Amino acid sequence: MDTLGYFNIKKPDVVHETIDGETVIVNLENGVYYSLRNSGVDIWNLIETGANFEELTAEITKRYRAAPDDISKSIRELLITLQKEGLLQVTSTRRTEGRAPQTPAGYKKIKFELPVLEKYSDMQELLLLDPIHEVDEDGWPNKVEDGGQTNVGGQG
Amino acid sequence: MSAGRDNGFPEDEYLAFFQFIYAYYKKAENKSAGYQDRFFSVGDRPVRLRFAGNGLIPALTPALAHLEIPLTNAPDLSVFLWDNVSTGTELPSIISRYLDSLGEWWIHLGKRGEINELTNERIHTAYHLGPNILSIIDLKENLAMYWVKDAQALPYYEIGSPLRTILHWWADRGAYQFIHAGAVGLAAGGVLLAGKGGTGKSTTALVCLEAGLMYASDDYCLVKTDPVPFVYSLYNTAKLRGDLDLERFPLLAPFVSNKSRLESDKAVFFLQQHFPQLVSRGFPIKAILLPLVTDQKETRLRPVTAGAVLAALAPSTLFQLPGAGSTAIKTMKKLVGQVPGYILELGTDTAKIPETILGLLSNG
Repeated sequence: MDTLGYFNIKKPDVVHETIDGETVIVNLENGVYYSLRNSGVDIWNLIETGANFEELTAEITKRYRAAPDDISKSIRELLITLQKEGLLQVTSTRRTEGRAPQTPAGYKKIKFELPVLEKYSDMQELLLLDPIHEVDEDGWPNKVEDGGQTNVGGQG
Repeated sequence: MSAGRDNGFPEDEYLAFFQFIYAYYKKAENKSAGYQDRFFSVGDRPVRLRFAGNGLIPALTPALAHLEIPLTNAPDLSVFLWDNVSTGTELPSIISRYLDSLGEWWIHLGKRGEINELTNERIHTAYHLGPNILSIIDLKENLAMYWVKDAQALPYYEIGSPLRTILHWWADRGAYQFIHAGAVGLAAGGVLLAGKGGTGKSTTALVCLEAGLMYASDDYCLVKTDPVPFVYSLYNTAKLRGDLDLERFPLLAPFVSNKSRLESDKAVFFLQQHFPQLVSRGFPIKAILLPLVTDQKETRLRPVTAGAVLAALAPSTLFQLPGAGSTAIKTMKKLVGQVPGYILELGTDTAKIPETILGLLSNG
């Protein structure tokens, strides 16, 4: 896996939005969706600007309180995971216009928490299948078994 | 807007494709001695459905009956609909063979039914395997076509929620967003019920209906975020599965529309035919609820973050709509930021579910 080069969100198959400190990422190609919180949101938003690994690490180190090596290791692991999940492309040149936003000097750092990519594959059946797909055969209130949520990348 | 991928094909080839298929619609019209127009107010805009032959009318119009309006001369969208069996026609053999091959080589079909080679910014084409529905729209002229081989073979979910793809493409262009959610409430305001299938959306909507709340949707609807968040009903359909569900709703049980097909299908009800006073064409959205089936007796509301609401609403919407992408999720983000979100922990005492929702609405 590659942490060299510039990272780009794989558009148009990957769509995402951030609201109230949570980023929801949807992979339209395979029906899997994800959630990122804490530093993961900042890292994702920096990726959207087309940052490379060094820029990501420098920015996150300015924003969070932790040993630089721990931050750098976490970012590397998250980037590898995001690539494995097919959410990112790596290019040798910067594709996005402009530069990653600069954290202002004197920014009050907050405690670093590991970025965890929560993965949900419970809706994959919606793709190409009967679109009406509801309660299990016994009817309500019998629960359909949840497809489940996992933390991916060995960080959670 | 729905993003068409840039295939690099000349624009006039897409238009020629649209005209080619339209010529076969016209053949069906001629063979059926004309057409029948029906008009519906979708969102707050007039939509014309022009049927060649009678095959599709009884299949597709009951779910939309509450939106029917008198003839209008300026429809915002015109859809031309036909099936081969009732019109005694065929699709052009080259297209027919191509669609058959998509059934065998479905890898060439987009995951949500998109035919990417026949889709650009202006012309969108989708083919839904299973019911084998061909949908095409010209977004510049607001003209669309809907074709199936045999109207009699349409599955219950298409009869219950017809024309989803075409209405989604059109809505996307016109400031509405097609979403996967239920909606119940009062004329002054109501709630959306979001979440994937099996979470209790339909049940919640139906216990609310039986308690006298207005019903706008159990599955699909349109929303607008400006000037205030507002939901528009699309289908007056309700669906139940299994005898246990039918016993649970004794008021509805006598009105199943597809009694002869309950072995394989869900029970489908057209509420406009039996409870027209409770079918709503829309209301302002006051909150978004994520139903959750529990074993507890009481029904409770638990506040939840906007991110959790977006995660419940966006994927199940996006995975069902050909071409839906970044614009759709942006609209849904805006919507979940405008109103509070709650987990609706569904109690086993279902009579308390509408009370809980009414309590929330009266406090809001």
